[in-house]
Amino acid sequence: MLPAFSYVRPTTLGEAIRLAGRKGAHIHAGGTDLLGCLRDQVLGAETLVSITGLSELRGIAPARDGGLRLGALTTIAEVAADPTIRGRYAGLAEAASQVASPQLRNQGTLGGNLCQKPRCWYYRGDFHCLRKGGEMCFAAEGESQGHAIFGGDRCFAVHPSDTAPVLAALGATVRIAGAAGTRTIPVEQLLVPAGTNPQRETVLEPGEILTEVVLPPPAAGLRSSYRKVRARAVWDFALVGVALALRLEGGVARQVRVFLSGVAAVPWRHPGIEAALTGKPLDASIIAAASVAAAKGAEPLGKNAYKVELLRGLMTEELERLARG
Amino acid sequence: MRGDGLYFVEGALPETPTGGAQAEAWQTTRVVGTRQPRIDAYERVSGTAVYPSDVVLPDMLYGAILRCPHPHAKVKKVDLASARSVPGVRAVLAGDSPEADLRWYYTRQVFTRLFDATCRFEGEAVAAVAAETPQQARDALRAIRVEYEVLPFVVEEGRALASDAPKIAEGGNRVGEPEVYTRGDVAKGFSEADTVVERTYRTAAEIHSPMELHGCVARWDGPKLTIWETTQGVYPVQQRVASLLDIPLSRVRVIGHYMGGGFGSKLSADKYHLVAAVLARLTARPVKLFLSREETFRCVGNRPPATMRLKAGVKKDGTLTALEMDVVGASGGYPAGGASLVDWLVRDLYLCPNVKCTSTDVLTTTGPARAFRAPGHPQGAWALEQLVDELATAIGMDPVALRVKNVPALSQGRDDLPYSTTGLKQCLEEGARAFGWEEARRRAPGRGPWKRGVGMAAGTWVAGAGGPPSTVIVKLGADGSANLNMGASDIGTGTKTVMAMVVAEELGVPLDRIHVEHADTGTTQYATASGGSKTVPTESPATRAAALEVKRQVLDLAAEELKLPVAELRLQDGVVTSLKDPALKKPLAELGGLRRRGVVVGVGTRAPNPEDLATCPFAAQFCEVEVNERTGEVRVLRFLAAQDSGRVMNRLTYDNQVIGGITMGIGLALTEARVLDGAQTGRLVSGNFHDYKLPTMLDVPADITSLPVELPDHRANSTGAKGLGEPVTIPTAAAVANAVFAATGVRVTDSPISPARLLPLLAAARKEG
Repeated sequence: MLPAFSYVRPTTLGEAIRLAGRKGAHIHAGGTDLLGCLRDQVLGAETLVSITGLSELRGIAPARDGGLRLGALTTIAEVAADPTIRGRYAGLAEAASQVASPQLRNQGTLGGNLCQKPRCWYYRGDFHCLRKGGEMCFAAEGESQGHAIFGGDRCFAVHPSDTAPVLAALGATVRIAGAAGTRTIPVEQLLVPAGTNPQRETVLEPGEILTEVVLPPPAAGLRSSYRKVRARAVWDFALVGVALALRLEGGVARQVRVFLSGVAAVPWRHPGIEAALTGKPLDASIIAAASVAAAKGAEPLGKNAYKVELLRGLMTEELERLARG
Repeated sequence: MRGDGLYFVEGALPETPTGGAQAEAWQTTRVVGTRQPRIDAYERVSGTAVYPSDVVLPDMLYGAILRCPHPHAKVKKVDLASARSVPGVRAVLAGDSPEADLRWYYTRQVFTRLFDATCRFEGEAVAAVAAETPQQARDALRAIRVEYEVLPFVVEEGRALASDAPKIAEGGNRVGEPEVYTRGDVAKGFSEADTVVERTYRTAAEIHSPMELHGCVARWDGPKLTIWETTQGVYPVQQRVASLLDIPLSRVRVIGHYMGGGFGSKLSADKYHLVAAVLARLTARPVKLFLSREETFRCVGNRPPATMRLKAGVKKDGTLTALEMDVVGASGGYPAGGASLVDWLVRDLYLCPNVKCTSTDVLTTTGPARAFRAPGHPQGAWALEQLVDELATAIGMDPVALRVKNVPALSQGRDDLPYSTTGLKQCLEEGARAFGWEEARRRAPGRGPWKRGVGMAAGTWVAGAGGPPSTVIVKLGADGSANLNMGASDIGTGTKTVMAMVVAEELGVPLDRIHVEHADTGTTQYATASGGSKTVPTESPATRAAALEVKRQVLDLAAEELKLPVAELRLQDGVVTSLKDPALKKPLAELGGLRRRGVVVGVGTRAPNPEDLATCPFAAQFCEVEVNERTGEVRVLRFLAAQDSGRVMNRLTYDNQVIGGITMGIGLALTEARVLDGAQTGRLVSGNFHDYKLPTMLDVPADITSLPVELPDHRANSTGAKGLGEPVTIPTAAAVANAVFAATGVRVTDSPISPARLLPLLAAARKEG
């Protein structure tokens, strides 16, 4: 049951920023994650600042440099269906189309997808865990089937977003508006690793609002992809997901960026795989080498060693798919 | 039969008054067996059907229950003071409230208090409130301060038997002595075998997860209590509530009507009924008390987990020589049949002279089990049907042929009682033919990472005969329309529609002129809970008897008016016609006698079953899957269910049951598991629809074929119907597991077959291979 809170729906960004800066305020966009968090008492809220009235945060438009600007309130369904995205940033369309279920994709927003809270069952459940200000991470010695194999540090929850890893792979940035003006940071730097602060998911300060995602112009020969494996066919988060972006230049992979979902508190960049691929043709032996490299550095917990195997298998599948074009 | 205990938990049943002789079997039918949309389909899909959760009464309060957050604890102190001062709160109850000083039992083996000082599972009731709004009630719960003495827990059935396991009951964690079944001599049987295979299997606990939450509305009118309840049986709820509140049955009215699913978890009364009734009495206002989804994951039942060691011996020619099974099942915090019926298929499904089954039921600090769609059977099938598959591989025999070779003619589990009909062989053979089994088996698994395979499994269901008691009333009005009055609940299976079809068959009244009143102890007649796949075989003969009683009276009236002998008359399509001279006829609405009486009433009862026969449904299911060897993903491509459930009453709702049962079985096979934090807190972690993974539309194939094996069963009952709802989910999960084996060569012994389980097995197989 939802706790009591007040609800405001400002009509200007400035007003939204001012209200969101107040103590106990939370930003409401699609609400698909926020309302669940409130209902499960993962967080409390005195005020919900709905930004749904800010129409300037909606929609997809070309950027001056040839890239693409996506308003934070653009729905996941709109991202999945957008012809430009499907044509030029296929990985993002693939990721968006794998998010949750059709209902949730119609309601959930791109900004919200980046800023959502982890789905760790201890964090979402009635366990006073480290991420909620408690003493310990229950997954470390407990039911860790869904937890991190990379970068776990005191907390082993994973980031649930499908769009974040592929945006990071594509080198996208986000614009953040606050009382002091706006700033732009790479998506890669939006989310906070467990080792940095296990009680925080994004670098957004109180009163800051993610307003826009900006994709750079696609490089010649850019190929991107995303696929996640989940425990059921739809309406589920990634056990492991692989986002790839690279350029194929005469059959040789360049500017390879590999980000993984479902394996760390942030979209996990995997330099080992990138190194195994960069400057090489995507042939069977290179793909096999990349798959071997994928396991490097993994530190599974008691019940998630299967994720290492899964990552290797999925990496092979995705590289073969990308190579086929 | 033994299985009935799960559905008739209150002990001895009332006798049904003796009716007339059982009617002859139908030779041909005009309505029964056709495809008929539900008579209440419009109400259901338009949202106008009023379910108990929709009931809103004037002045109604909202109740809520405070639940123990620990798997095992003693309640030392409950401080209700601050809860009382929460705005809107009208009543607060805990263990020391005199109004709440009531007895309670999960099953009659152990009696406790309504709010017992000992909590043996997370979610046990500790206190309760009633308030003006649901929000205020929840706020009040948060204001209650409870001091617990947290006790050690044990949540895994295997662990519960360890000598150092925490004791849950004074006598230890074993529920009674293990139940041992033997026939023949298994040692001798194994010595005669050419091949002996032994394996241990486990099925995870499942949560029923009906769409409508558990709950009720309770209202007192002076000494009379009315309960609107989402239930499978209004009479069992009435019985338990009356007995525990110590009020006469006559003063407890339970109204069911529409209900949003139960799957066995709504067969009787729960603590919340008593809590709502007490809160309503205390406040002199109606109280609505519905559980949250999170509560239903913890305290209104589960399919208990089972660990099953199974050993089987077979000769080269496929003759089974011995079967030996050890089951450990978990009742949960109180005795609840944790190992019940898991061994039934081993006892009864295949011809085997030497069988030994040992079933051990244990207590664990988890929510008590409840009957769950075919209690014990899908678990047992998971073990037996995988092992039979393995035997077939070992002796190089087709799994269908091996099963056909061992089809029994008699029910060995019932001391060789004959079956009224057995379609097991036809299910296997016709199913295999329709599925294209042999061709599909010959196809290579494929060269890419996605490997294809087909699998099959068979089953029977211990109950499904139905039987007394049941009384049904059919009323024919002066305009030729009819009312059907029965106590049974329609739990979503289409019971109302099937019964209306029986009336239409006998009286020729069109379905849209038949209205069904049901599931109300105040206005309808005694019926047992709708469970055990016995509702259609129980209620349809009683309905037919009632309709025939109406028909007899109508023909008497017509004979008088037409001045013809009764034997010469037939009632068809609402018209009484002379067999000799079809020109001599009278539509029902023109019968003067009927108009003068206003109504003709027929009372029908369910005649007893033949004592010398076992009436059981049988099934064989076939499926094709695709497994990604790299990622452990499993896709079910198609399913075929060949079911012997006697006469098909309504082909449309019949197919609904087949599809629903397969969907549920795919959940057991691939996605569903109750996960407990066994190493640290003993608490549930998969307590929501994200972490408890029900299969979705995309996990279930669009290609599901329902193939009825419709054997006339004239001896079972007067409609020849056998149960369907449970047998359709018994072989499903095992068939999937066998198909996964066919695709990958990997045998997954523990459910569910998730990537987490499959990938390490595939990796190990690659290393070996």
